[in-house]
Amino acid sequence: MTQEAMSAQKIADELAEMPSASAISLQMSVDNYLDVLRGVLDLFSNKKQMDTIYVTATISSEAIKRVLEALDIDSSRIFFVDCISHIMMGASSAQSDDNTTLVESPTMLENLMLKVEYLIRRSESKDKLVVLDSINSLAIHNNNWILSEFLHILVSGLRSREAYTVILSVEEHSTPEINNMVNLVCDHGIRVGKEG
Amino acid sequence: MEGLDTILYGGIPRTNTILLTGSCGTGKTSLALEFLIHGALKGENSLFVSVTENSEKLLANIIPYRFFDRSLIKSGRLVFVDLPIMYERLGMTKPELSMEEIDLLVAAIADLAKELGTKRLVIDSITSICYKLKTSEKIRDFVLKLSKSLSDLNCTSILVGEVAAQSSAYSSYGVEEAIADGIILMANMERRGDLLRTLQVIKMRGTMHSRAKYVLDLTPMGVLLVPLLKGGSTG
Repeated sequence: MTQEAMSAQKIADELAEMPSASAISLQMSVDNYLDVLRGVLDLFSNKKQMDTIYVTATISSEAIKRVLEALDIDSSRIFFVDCISHIMMGASSAQSDDNTTLVESPTMLENLMLKVEYLIRRSESKDKLVVLDSINSLAIHNNNWILSEFLHILVSGLRSREAYTVILSVEEHSTPEINNMVNLVCDHGIRVGKEG
Repeated sequence: MEGLDTILYGGIPRTNTILLTGSCGTGKTSLALEFLIHGALKGENSLFVSVTENSEKLLANIIPYRFFDRSLIKSGRLVFVDLPIMYERLGMTKPELSMEEIDLLVAAIADLAKELGTKRLVIDSITSICYKLKTSEKIRDFVLKLSKSLSDLNCTSILVGEVAAQSSAYSSYGVEEAIADGIILMANMERRGDLLRTLQVIKMRGTMHSRAKYVLDLTPMGVLLVPLLKGGSTG
């Protein structure tokens, strides 16, 4: 098994040990992004046949879909809440579809929560996973106060719906404030990266 | 209506007359329709009185609610009536209604609600009716009589009101709000260039309720609400 495959499997194994309604902080190095995608979306979520709501504030959902395709990861049960395409490309080229919901801007945190809530309600899957990619990207557009409030409300809501929450953060871009904010709402932390 | 029921600690109290008010594009009609559809699904006869928009056009533009079943209309559980047709039948062709005509209009709406066994009623919008009443006295008289007639029929009603975007009042004439049992205010709130749809329960007789402001989204699963994040609030 390669180092990458081991990282992905380790992530999936750790997540599998968590009960539903858990909130997990997953801190990674930029270099480990693909391992994280495989570990979380393929080896954990797809293996458990759960619907995944993937909130992307870093790169567009289209770009992630292309990565998943290249990694040969089935994305049929992954539903994207895309907070970045609209401001990057404008409404005309960014498209909503059955698997992708656009939020106009990463500053519209309430709308982000509402889209997640809508997809949670629409899902018929017994177990559900919500991935937030990433807290660092959201921190570019929002101050720590509102971001902290957002995380608290989002995670509390997801707990009440028995959904798993995974909050991604990028080691190289994190600050002690962001780490504290994430640790405050999470039950468990996983580190994958240079020191992971 | 899970979100609204939660902030009302159980929902709109039965037989209350509620003023659902706000500026254009805030989701008032969608919320009112959802209230009726849920009632109809529960077996309560529901009546939508459309004042400004033709009900066929309204139905064509309805949010594709996943829980909406067109058979509710066919079975008569959910009924749409265009008020301009009622005006015509009652011979109310003048731009301003007299006190007698107000009584006639209230009686016509109440009779229709009674005949249909209506338990939930929406008038969209009460402001458009008030245009034909002109004076505060007539508006007060109309809203009071209508509210009492519907309450006597054990009917829970939503009167949709329209206010200007920057208005701080809850109704165009300042009368409707004083008479209604409850006020739900819907608005567009701008925050750092983002326009958020908000909802706030100002008053609700007969139940405790949240007084906080919520952000809403109109979705095929119905109106969803989350608390407005205070960190970015401008007001």
